[in-house]
Amino acid sequence: MVDSGKMICPTCGVEMNCHAEKIDYAAGLAEPDAIDEDLGGVVEEFHTCPECGQTLARRSV
Amino acid sequence: MEAERPLFIPVILGTTRQGRMSEHVARFVFGELSKRKNVESELIDIRDLSFPTSDAGEGIKDSKFSETVARADALLLVVPEYNHGYPGLLKHALDTNLKEYIHKAVGICGVSAGPFGGTRVIENLLPVMRELGLVTIFWDGNFSSVQKVFDDSGTLLDAAYVRRLDKFFKELIWMAKVLRHGRESVGIEEE
Repeated sequence: MVDSGKMICPTCGVEMNCHAEKIDYAAGLAEPDAIDEDLGGVVEEFHTCPECGQTLARRSV
Repeated sequence: MEAERPLFIPVILGTTRQGRMSEHVARFVFGELSKRKNVESELIDIRDLSFPTSDAGEGIKDSKFSETVARADALLLVVPEYNHGYPGLLKHALDTNLKEYIHKAVGICGVSAGPFGGTRVIENLLPVMRELGLVTIFWDGNFSSVQKVFDDSGTLLDAAYVRRLDKFFKELIWMAKVLRHGRESVGIEEE
């Protein structure tokens, strides 16, 4: 099951901020089942830690 | 109050060509940028990255390069104009990352032997920057007739470039700060 809650920074332990979503068209070539049919690709979310600034990505649900 | 983390703005020298004058530009820009308060920089020469040409994209990531871009708050590209376009090996290097660029600022210094200071290569790069998730600024660095701007040892011959770069840096740093704040504090709207 894909998690849709807040991401927690693995370094700082604080909630990360989700500031972007982007379509990864190439990812859909390898994983056609992961494609969002309305958008035509795999949607990824980008979360950044307000403490250390690191950014992590995960699949959007 | 916790001290603000310094901004990290690497300078990328975007050509591998022998005899490249852009190296003088990149070293000068890196030196000036490194003088700014609360800014850290690093000079990345794509010649040193040695990406294979038998593949492309994220499949040929260089872990050190990707980690550096991931840590960056902004990028500063130094790019010569070759036949009105950008060097193919720069695009090859940039394409090895994707997630690392999201919501980060980018400034471009164009370099040319002619009078237009790389304006055409800068314009050609803008849509690429946009697709990578980078945010462009409205100041550029334009190094026209670059063979007259530096001597053979790389010493700057035209002091006006110091002031021009100062304006360019101010805008890039402002955008880098704003985007860092946005990445860390401004969420996308949920219905």
